[in-house]
Amino acid sequence: MLKSLDPRVTRLNLPDGEVPPMEEKPELDQFETYEAFHQKKDGAAHTYVGPVHAPNEDVAFLFAKEQYSRRFPCVGLWIARTENIQVTPYGNDGENVYDMLRIEETAEQIEQPEPYEIFHLKKRGKAHTHAGRVMATSYLNALQEAKQAFGEKSPIVNVWVVKSKDVLQSAEDDKDMWTTVPEKKYREAIAYKVMDKITKYKEERKNTPAQ
Amino acid sequence: MYGGGNIFEATKFDDLQTEDPAKLAEFEARIARGEKIEPTDWMPELYRKQLIRMIEQHAHSEIIGALPEGTWITRAPGFRRKMAQMAKVQDEVGHAQLLYSAAETLGKSREQMLTDLINGKSKYSNVFNYPAFTWADSNIISWLIDAGAIVNQMANAKGSYGPYSRALERICAEEAFHLKYGHDAVVHMATGSPKQREMIQAALNRWWPPIMTFFGPSDKMSTHTETLMRWKVKMASNDECRQQFLDMYVPKIWELGLTVPDPNLKKNQETGQWEFTEPDWDEFKRVINGDGPCNAERLAVRRTAEERGAWVRRALLNPKAKYVRPLA
Repeated sequence: MLKSLDPRVTRLNLPDGEVPPMEEKPELDQFETYEAFHQKKDGAAHTYVGPVHAPNEDVAFLFAKEQYSRRFPCVGLWIARTENIQVTPYGNDGENVYDMLRIEETAEQIEQPEPYEIFHLKKRGKAHTHAGRVMATSYLNALQEAKQAFGEKSPIVNVWVVKSKDVLQSAEDDKDMWTTVPEKKYREAIAYKVMDKITKYKEERKNTPAQ
Repeated sequence: MYGGGNIFEATKFDDLQTEDPAKLAEFEARIARGEKIEPTDWMPELYRKQLIRMIEQHAHSEIIGALPEGTWITRAPGFRRKMAQMAKVQDEVGHAQLLYSAAETLGKSREQMLTDLINGKSKYSNVFNYPAFTWADSNIISWLIDAGAIVNQMANAKGSYGPYSRALERICAEEAFHLKYGHDAVVHMATGSPKQREMIQAALNRWWPPIMTFFGPSDKMSTHTETLMRWKVKMASNDECRQQFLDMYVPKIWELGLTVPDPNLKKNQETGQWEFTEPDWDEFKRVINGDGPCNAERLAVRRTAEERGAWVRRALLNPKAKYVRPLA
């Protein structure tokens, strides 16, 4: 049995020595992915923070809350399944991707328009930021509407489009889940007054004759 | 933490002749302009493979590196230190998640990365194959291993791949706490009772040789290395990182009246370079290939977590789930 310095590891009774390789993990062992957007303060646009793997939207929200809003101020969190986000091609820095896209006028609108969320990437390497919401009958139509509504301001190198109904959004009432974040000073660099300790130590040493 | 240097052999040099010259030129021009590469852009196979390898190893290092420090959570002296140690370990595991996702955007699944880690097919930073005997060892890891990783990560954050840069920016922001926390813990011991001083010196003596290997052996300059530097995949040589680390941290060790267990360590005032005893690269190779004090334990612990959690993941899996690569 494997003996460790950590008694909890020893108690796992793990085999010591050669072990057969682990079987390949099955597909979706790590679930599907969701994309998370956070809001740093009231009134600020939601900004992309990164993906999480989760079995469903609610768990994705919990994971994203831990992963992306644990350490820094946050007042809101949105989650969307990666599969539900439509992505335009990427332009070069400085370009406006709306100008490069050939967005054909869709045929007569049979369907009822519904809300879509639009996210813009202003520069490669930065994060997508929420530009706003449009009413549209399809992803393509949403892109058209977005071009009209927010496409003027160059540059925009990439656009994400997702139906509002596919975005799990934290509510106003949920904000209190982040109220304790600033209280946890022990995980802020500023809480550690290292220089004071070093200075004090050096002072003491100076005053003590060498032994 | 914990991204070790580029310490593992590089992917085999693929002949760039097989790449489409027009696309390659466009790709190189983008990097030369200082633009980032995003996941859906065309990229040479060598770029993709090398980045997957680097980011994946970095992710594994975070998750395995959390083990020697995690061990000390329950035994951390005092409630405040326990909270801080726990927060730090949680950060490290979070970093692994960020990095696995960045690697995923390049086309390797998280399932495959975790399998390759456990079966020893892909590596992690070699320092974590050494044990943390005492609380003081944990402090030295928090301070100096994190410090080494930050040197590396700050350089890599300026690299050309968008998702990796984004992940590293977030990681570096969180690391600021780790470094201060580790430094504070070491200072506390070093300025404490004779017994505490003795403990921290002993831990430093144990960790110094692995720390000196942290950035890896001197790079062999080759066409391959030059290509990776031009593509902003490799941002600094292993020696440059090691020198920068010594410059920043040896004075901080010395000011506490601690000694570094290397009689040859000194800064050459003429060259401005640190001189030191060449680390034992044979031991390094032996340990990285599996024969270190903790290799088996680290992988066994990780494997057990994977295997014992498998039924929970299966039970939660939505049968309609469909995998799509993360977007950025």
